[in-house]
Amino acid sequence: MGSKKRQLAMVFDLNKCIGCQTCSVACKMLWTRDEGTDYQWWCTVNTIPGRGSPRDWEQMGGGYKDGKLSMGKAPERSDFGGGWDFNYDEVFYGKSAEKVPLRVVGEQPDWGPNWDEDQGGGEYPNSYYYYLPRLCNHCTNPACVEACPSGAMYKRDQDGIVLRDESACQGTRKCAEACPYKKIYFNHQRGISQHCIMCLPRIEDGVAPACARQCPGRLVFVGYLDDESGPIHKLVSEWKVAVALHPEYGTKPNIFYVPPIGPKPINDDGSIDENRNRIPDELLEQQFGPDVHQALATLQAEMAKTKAGGQSDLMDILIVYEWKHLFSEFTVDPVDIEQEAN
Amino acid sequence: MAAVMKSEPVYTSWKDIYRDKWQWDEVYWGSHCVDCYPGCCPMRVYVRDGIVWREEQSGSFDTIEEGVPDFNPMGCQKGACWSQSLYGPDRLLYPLKRVGERGEGKWNRVTWDEALTDIAGSMLDAIQEYGPHTIIREGTPEYSTVMSTVKFMATIGAQGIDMNGSINDFSIGLYETFGKFSPVSSADDWFHSELILIWHMNPVFTRIPFYHFIAEARYNGAEVVNISPDINPSHTHADYQVAINGATDAAFGLAIVQVILEEKIADWDFMREQTDLGYLVRSDNGKYLRETDVTGEGREDQMYQWDPDSGLKKADRGDCRLHGLQIALQGTFEATLADGSKVEVRPALELLRDHINANYTPELQQAITGVHPDTIRMLARKVAAKRTNIMLGYNACKFYHGDLIERAMCLVLAVSGNWGKQGTGIRSWASGMHEGEEIVMAKQAPGAQAAEAIIAAREAQFEAYKAKDPTATTEIAIRDITRLDNPPVASIPAFFWRDHCGYGERWNTPGWGDDSLPRSFDDYMNEAMSKGWWKEPPKDPPQVLIECGGNMLRRTRGGKTALLNTLWPKLKKIVTIDFRISQTALYADYVLPAAQHYEKIGFSIPTPHVLNLNLSDQATQPAGEARDEWDIYLALLKKMQELGKERGLTTYESYEGDTYNLEEMVNKYTLNGYFQDEEGNFDNEKLKDEGIRDSVLCGVLPFGTTLETLREEGHVRFIDMGVSPMGSAQASPIEKDKTFVPFRNHTEQGHPFPTYARRAQFYIDHEWFLEANEQLPTYKPNPRAGGNYPLGMTSGHNRWSIHAMNQANEVILGTHRGEPNIMVNPDDASDRGVEDDGLVRVYNDVGEFIVRVKIAPNVKPGQVISYNGWAGFQYTGWSGANEAEPGMVKWIGFAGGYGHLNHMPNEWQPIPVSRWTRCEFEKVENA
Ligand code: SF4
Ligand code: SF4
Repeated sequence: MGSKKRQLAMVFDLNKCIGCQTCSVACKMLWTRDEGTDYQWWCTVNTIPGRGSPRDWEQMGGGYKDGKLSMGKAPERSDFGGGWDFNYDEVFYGKSAEKVPLRVVGEQPDWGPNWDEDQGGGEYPNSYYYYLPRLCNHCTNPACVEACPSGAMYKRDQDGIVLRDESACQGTRKCAEACPYKKIYFNHQRGISQHCIMCLPRIEDGVAPACARQCPGRLVFVGYLDDESGPIHKLVSEWKVAVALHPEYGTKPNIFYVPPIGPKPINDDGSIDENRNRIPDELLEQQFGPDVHQALATLQAEMAKTKAGGQSDLMDILIVYEWKHLFSEFTVDPVDIEQEAN
Repeated sequence: MAAVMKSEPVYTSWKDIYRDKWQWDEVYWGSHCVDCYPGCCPMRVYVRDGIVWREEQSGSFDTIEEGVPDFNPMGCQKGACWSQSLYGPDRLLYPLKRVGERGEGKWNRVTWDEALTDIAGSMLDAIQEYGPHTIIREGTPEYSTVMSTVKFMATIGAQGIDMNGSINDFSIGLYETFGKFSPVSSADDWFHSELILIWHMNPVFTRIPFYHFIAEARYNGAEVVNISPDINPSHTHADYQVAINGATDAAFGLAIVQVILEEKIADWDFMREQTDLGYLVRSDNGKYLRETDVTGEGREDQMYQWDPDSGLKKADRGDCRLHGLQIALQGTFEATLADGSKVEVRPALELLRDHINANYTPELQQAITGVHPDTIRMLARKVAAKRTNIMLGYNACKFYHGDLIERAMCLVLAVSGNWGKQGTGIRSWASGMHEGEEIVMAKQAPGAQAAEAIIAAREAQFEAYKAKDPTATTEIAIRDITRLDNPPVASIPAFFWRDHCGYGERWNTPGWGDDSLPRSFDDYMNEAMSKGWWKEPPKDPPQVLIECGGNMLRRTRGGKTALLNTLWPKLKKIVTIDFRISQTALYADYVLPAAQHYEKIGFSIPTPHVLNLNLSDQATQPAGEARDEWDIYLALLKKMQELGKERGLTTYESYEGDTYNLEEMVNKYTLNGYFQDEEGNFDNEKLKDEGIRDSVLCGVLPFGTTLETLREEGHVRFIDMGVSPMGSAQASPIEKDKTFVPFRNHTEQGHPFPTYARRAQFYIDHEWFLEANEQLPTYKPNPRAGGNYPLGMTSGHNRWSIHAMNQANEVILGTHRGEPNIMVNPDDASDRGVEDDGLVRVYNDVGEFIVRVKIAPNVKPGQVISYNGWAGFQYTGWSGANEAEPGMVKWIGFAGGYGHLNHMPNEWQPIPVSRWTRCEFEKVENA
């Protein structure tokens, strides 16, 4: 590969995401089950519109303004919530005549990684919502890296993954203040920050990240941005149907989304308005920037082709006839990896 | 398989922490042997230092049909952290004996021997005092526990309670129409649909591994319509949301039919061949014209069609096809009866037209359903023109008039020719294709010969049946033989609740049932009994309950309190066998720890949705003192034998008069020791291998399949549906490179349906149906069960747990608010001064429960959504939503004496309903 700079990217097709949380659970089972990481969900899936995780993260600042790093606020532990312990023993073996229900131990939670699940917005019967999986965007202009005073954070040349040398991290949390997506967690046990490593050991073995490979919705594409034969390049650069979340934050994210097309809304007289999507355009623009309109128009035009019985190359890519085609060259089956004898 | 060497052998320090998490010693095939239906997700289970460390989907399915997406990588969030329950805090590790009052939470750890001695003693007491029928178990679809429990109960002559009669996963309207309730396409077939009506189903929650086929069908040009009162999660990728008034779906469906008929865009020939809509009905009494009317002799179930050239034509009971003959679908004709008198007759379709033109035009239905007439017309035209698939879940059948809703759905498909071809149909639930498992249980000796003897005997039985009735297909023979073989009546849950749990009073409460009927509930039930449609079950009080896989106190409609007050005091011993603590375990006398799915060999539930038998291997030793259920039951049998000897008890009789011999039971259970290992423990591996081989002999699995080949491949696709009642009910061949669709034998070969009328039956002239005005699909308002309260409580499977199984999993608890909730509309909440996450008391005349509120504008005003499957112990006082469910059954389930309307195990019987129960809620202060 030489010294060529490359960027790994992912596309999440929101027209297939069902908010099942398998991606977030897959990630948790692999990486964040220790004390200190137990409240961390490097991949979260939230219902939009909603306050998300951490709570009201879109109001916390960070990223770049006019090309200049703009520090925001680092989310508090309570903004994330989660990482709860439950009173199992009291319920199951409590030896009290009281029937104590299963509850979080200590202070009762008022937020968590998926607190506003399925609430959404709008007014009945035109209520609407969709699901948005989020992880570190492994940005091309990573504000976290620039903000890190200890030189612990870096972006790898060979694949653009944003990493933190945990032995060098001094826990200043500047990265979390700078990250506009608030996808950096603080390990209160170890006194360091942590975030999604894009399943680095899997990537090293040619295996797609857990959130992608384990997604039963078959909607997470993985590959190099510059691989012209791969789906990422086609969706992001050719068809331009995959757009970044909050491009105005200025960090150039490398996680892209195919925007959702919701059902048509219902008019006051109860009839159906055939010409609109019940998810407001303004909301989608607020989320994905103005490019979302062209992306939606392209998607709808191509969907109209197959609906009329025709063919569409774009639809063929998004249908993903063969699951492995989601992952470009990252198709190794983990069971085929030889394990070193212990 | 190319091995990939670990790259970068030189580790830099901080990364090693992560690389170390990506290491394992061994990998096994695994799955989750529960009724998550689909299930069948092949996983890889990664083991480190003998401990299951994590699992990941295998993604190992081949493409079936060119141009159709593959199944990979099936799975869900529960499956992705299933291993948590191996070592989690709700895991059962040792036998526990209750020492305080039931439900008091006081337990002592005891040895297996102590526990089994006490339990076996109580079982012998029950046998000696009343007979083995007072030892009961609940039906369960939890696959890994079913076979061992069934075998054990059969060995001692005990009673099982019918599964579908208790949980009501029985699509009653499909049954009334098709004579069977279980058509299931392979999930990849959804991709072929051009119009998908998600109707009484929420696949975004309940079909996580397959949902993608719907999204992909949409990209492929299909239109997706979500029909539900709440704008539920399955609306997210739909093109249309029909926000229908609750429980009014029959009117909506019938209006679609009205438009299709009125605009003459129906599939007339399909209706002529596949349905009874061309059968002649007498105008004088509303009954079919029968052979007995016309000739004074012959068959009562022989009906007539009208041939425009030659007049009366006997409807062929053995072949649906008409070979182009255009039997009349409209007109008024005259038939001469045996006594020479004349009667006016009309095709059933004419009666249907009169009925729907008078009541269900798009304009008339709007007042009932709230759906705009334009929407009806738009959808009707699409249904008529497109390959249409109705995605039905087990929701409609849980409405009082759910059968009427489902009959209307079937009618929509009938008038538009939408079954028996790719991309069409309606779905329910089916399993049972792995026939070898049944054969193994019935065999007299190990090996192929003994299996072949059973297969041959079975064939001979079918042939004998067909010789008596040459119009019968094998499918019909199988169903009738199953029906005649039916188990003792004590297994029908409705009778059980009536006799032992005091439900009868509720069923007779005015306003809670169908008030339009001329007679009382009891009147109908008494008539059914006096006519011999059902046998009176034994009235002896149940003595011992063995709950293995089931969870009675959590799930029974009618509530935990009702059971604790009525059934529990009668029970001398309550035993729960499980790998985790369940709601029922908390109120048991003994809790016995079972092996979890990764700790024993098993299969995930085989279904037509996936068409594969998936191996779930033993990846690790059972934790603590947990044991495989097969082995637990074997130990219990040995103990019964031992104690029997002490009591001088060798043989006893069952209620049916069969003799059981305690001395022979171990041998019966283990096939004369063949399924025992050297230490005398149960050898489940040998049993599984034998079952696979027997399935090969049955012709449902490919030649050469063994446990060994499955250990290589992980899964194997079925090659035939076989002759189980549910498998054969699919009535279609399996093709190796095609998606699977049921009912092709009916549409392509003309095989008759297993109904009274031998076609899909929309006109049911059973006297009760006529008396209730339900001879045709019709709309009836939902009764106000629970009392006169302003809100209606609906339900449906939740996203976070397979039933209640994963509720205590800490990872899963972190993906939601960590405790149960009800979802309500913002207006209903603010009217009652309730804020999001506030605590409320939900109540009606039946009972109450306390729960948090989640406020969402997608809930219909007046609706309260309480998703099903929270564990009881997650609620205040351990009382969940079933406390407010009255456990009503629709009287029509007691009907009999009419072809397919006769008791059928797991199928025709009264079933409990719960949806749209009336209730109210009020704010309570935080506890
Ligand atoms: S696993 Fe896939 S479908 Fe499920 S929430 Fe994650 S991205 Fe969405
Ligand atoms: S729980 Fe069921 S649906 Fe989920 S992964 Fe396991 S088998 Fe699949």
